[in-house]
Amino acid sequence: MGRLVATATPDTDIGTTRRAEPSAMVRWATRNWLTILAIVAVIIGTYFAYQWDSRQTTAVAAGTIRQATPLILAGMCGLVGERSGIINIGIEGQMLLAAFCGFMVTSYSVDALTSGPALAAGIIAAMAVAAVAGLFLAWTAIRLKMDQIIAGTVINIFAIGATSFFFVQGRTMPKVPNWTVSSLEEIPLIGRLFFDHGPLTYAAFAVVALFHVTMFHTRWGLRTRAIGEHPGAADTVGVKVLRLRYVNLAIGGALAGLAGFSLLQSAGVFNRGMTNGKGFIALAVMIFGRWRPMGVLAAALIFGFFNAMQSQLQFKQAFDIPPQFFGMIPFVLTIAVLAIAGVRARPPAAVGQPFESE
Amino acid sequence: MKNRWMMLLVVLATFGLIAAACGDSSGDGDTAAGDETSDDDGSGAGDDGDGDDEAMAEDDGEADSHSDDGDDEAMAEDDDEAMAEDDDEAMAEDEGDEAMAEDDGGSEEGCAGDLVCVGLVTDVGKVDDKSFNQSAWEGVQLLEGELGAQVDFIETQDSTDYATNIQSYIDQDYDVIVTVGFSLGEATLEAAGANPDTYFIGVDQFQGAEVANVAGLIFPEDQAGFLAGALAGRLTETGVVGQVLGTDLVPPVVAFKEGFDAGVAFANPDADDVIATYHPGGLDVAFTDPDWGATTARQAIDNGADVIFGAGGLTGNGALQEVAKDGGDVFCIGVDTDQWETVPEAQPCLVTSAMKLITPGIVDIANEWNGGAAPAGNFVGDVGLADYHDFASVVDQETQDFIADLTPQVLSGEVSTGYTPGG
Repeated sequence: MGRLVATATPDTDIGTTRRAEPSAMVRWATRNWLTILAIVAVIIGTYFAYQWDSRQTTAVAAGTIRQATPLILAGMCGLVGERSGIINIGIEGQMLLAAFCGFMVTSYSVDALTSGPALAAGIIAAMAVAAVAGLFLAWTAIRLKMDQIIAGTVINIFAIGATSFFFVQGRTMPKVPNWTVSSLEEIPLIGRLFFDHGPLTYAAFAVVALFHVTMFHTRWGLRTRAIGEHPGAADTVGVKVLRLRYVNLAIGGALAGLAGFSLLQSAGVFNRGMTNGKGFIALAVMIFGRWRPMGVLAAALIFGFFNAMQSQLQFKQAFDIPPQFFGMIPFVLTIAVLAIAGVRARPPAAVGQPFESE
Repeated sequence: MKNRWMMLLVVLATFGLIAAACGDSSGDGDTAAGDETSDDDGSGAGDDGDGDDEAMAEDDGEADSHSDDGDDEAMAEDDDEAMAEDDDEAMAEDEGDEAMAEDDGGSEEGCAGDLVCVGLVTDVGKVDDKSFNQSAWEGVQLLEGELGAQVDFIETQDSTDYATNIQSYIDQDYDVIVTVGFSLGEATLEAAGANPDTYFIGVDQFQGAEVANVAGLIFPEDQAGFLAGALAGRLTETGVVGQVLGTDLVPPVVAFKEGFDAGVAFANPDADDVIATYHPGGLDVAFTDPDWGATTARQAIDNGADVIFGAGGLTGNGALQEVAKDGGDVFCIGVDTDQWETVPEAQPCLVTSAMKLITPGIVDIANEWNGGAAPAGNFVGDVGLADYHDFASVVDQETQDFIADLTPQVLSGEVSTGYTPGG
C-alpha cells in the first residue's frame, strides 16, 4: 500500500510543476544523446573527408552501404528470431539456400518471362525457401524441442550439401538493375550513397525502419518481445506463443531470403558456398546492435565500413599492413564492444529455451 | 506421443526423397559438365552414370537404414535422440555428396597393369571451375588420347583432404598424379617422398629443391601480368588502373600483381595510380568470393579506375562481372584462361586475359615423362595474352602493335618485369 502511495505522489507533483516537464522531443533527445552524437559525428566526419578527397570518400561510403546490405537483412533475420525466443544459427544456410533458389528460378524463368519478372520470381523463391527453412527450425525447436544450435547447424550443413549438389555450373542470370532516382542521383556523394543502388539495398533500409516501428510500437511487436522475454507470462494473458514463434521464424526466414538474394544482386552469379560466413557475421551484428533494429543497422554499417576501408587502404597502400589484419578489425571491435558494453547488451531472457504451455 | 513418431518418419522419408532426387539431378549436372569439358569423352560420360547410380543407391540405403532405426528405437526414444537422428541424417547426406563427387570421374577399380593411369587432384573447388582446375583437367583429358591413358579426378572438398585424396590414387597404383594449385605443394612433396615410383606434376608449385619424381609446372605470371599491365596502361584515360586480386598468401597472385604494376609503369608513366587489393580472407575463401570481388571492383571504379584486372578465381570473376555492368565504359582484363570463353557475362568489358597455358604444359610434361626423360624440378610453362575478340576493333592498332612487339621481348626476358620469384 505504501508503495502505491509513493508512486502516486510524484505524479501529482509533476501535475503541479507542469512547466518544468520537458517536451517529448527533448526527452527523446536526452535518452538518445549518444546516438545523436554518433550520427552528427559521422555526418561531420564524412563532410570533411569529402572536402579532403571527394572520390575516395564516395568510394568508401558507397562500398560501406553495399557491404552492409546483406548483413543488415541477415541481422534482422536473427533479431526477429531471437526476439521471439529462438536462436537462429542457420542464417548462413538460409541465405545460401535462398541465393541458390533465387539464382536457379531467375535463371530458368528468364526465357519464359522477361528479366524483370524473372528477378521478381527469383526474389519470391528466395524468400519462400528461406522461410521454409525458418519454419523447419521453428518446428524442430517447438515441436521436437531440439537443441536450437544443432537444428540451425543442420540447416547450414544441408544448405551446403544441397546447393553444391544441384548447382549447374555455367548458368547465368540477368543483372539486378540499379534503381536510380533521376536528378537526385546527380547530387554529389548523397546521390551515389542513397539513390543509386539495387532494389535489395533499399529493401534493407526499409526493413530496418519497418521493424523498428513494428517491434516497439505495435501489438505484434509487444507480443514478440513478450514471448522472447517471458513466454509463460505471455501465454497466461492469452498470447499464442508457439504460433507466433512459427510466424516470426517464417518472417525472419524471408528476411534471410532477401539477404541471400542481395548477394546475387552484388555478385551477379551464384557460387557454391558464396555466403562465406556472412550469416555468422550477421549474428555478431545482431549482438553488436543489442537486439535492436537500429542497432543492427549501425553495427552492419560499421562492419561494412571496415571492409570498405580495408580495400581502400590497400588501394592507396597507405600502410604496409597485411590485408588480413583489416579484415580482422570488425571482429576485434565486436569483442571489444561486447566486453565493454556487454553488461548492458542483454539477450531476450527466454532465448533458446523450449516453451510448453501449462 | 505417437504423433511425434509419425512426424519423425515423415521427416526421414522426406530426406530420403531429397537424397534420391539429388542423385538424379547430379547425374544430369555432371554429364553436362563432362560434355562441357570434353566433347569426345564417351567412356568418361558412361563412367559418370555408373558412379552416380552407385552413390544414389548408397544414399537410399542410408535413408532406409535410418528409418529402420527410427522404428526400432521408437519406443524408447526421447527428444534428444530424435535430434541426433536428424543430425545423423544430414551428415549421412553430406557424406553421400562427397562419395558421389569422388565417384564422378569413374574408375571403380585401381589401375590395371600396363595401362598408363593419370589422376588429378583439384584444389578446393570443382573441376568445372572455369579456371585452373578446369584447364588442368582438360590437359589430363588430352592425355587420354595422346598416351591412351586412363584418366580420373578427385575434387577436393576441404583443404585438410589434400593428402587423403593423393593417397587414394597411390593406393590405386596410378602412374602419374597431377595436383592442381599452390596449396597442394606440401602434400605433393610428402607423397612423392614416400612413393618414389609415382610421378607427380604439381601445377603452380614452385620447387625449392629438385625432387626426381616431381615436376612443378610453374609460369612466369609476372610476365603475363606485365603484358596485361602494359595494355591497361595504354587503355586508361583517367590514369587510374585497378586490380582485384586473390590472396597474397599465394605467390603466383603476387607475381601477377607485381608484373602488372611494372607493366603499367612501362607502357604509360603517366598512369601512376595503380590501385590493387588482395582479398582479406584466408586460402579457403580468397578465391571463391565473387561478392567481395564485385564490391571491390565497384569501389575501384568509384576511385576513378577505368581498367580493372581481376585475378583470383571466382573472386576475380565477380570483379569482371561487376565491371561488365558498366557496358564497356570501363575495361576489364581476365586471368589464367581466356575468360571470353569461360565467363561470357564479362564479354561487355573483357579486353583480353593474362593466360597461363596450363593445358599444354601438362601435356608436355606428361609426354616427356612417357618418353623416359621425366622432367624434375621446375618446368616453366608458357604465358601470353588471350585474343581481343570483339575488342579487336576497340583497341587501336597502335596499341595492338605495341603489345605484339612487346610480347616476345617480355617472354624472352629482354624487358625485365623487375619481379623475382620468392623475393
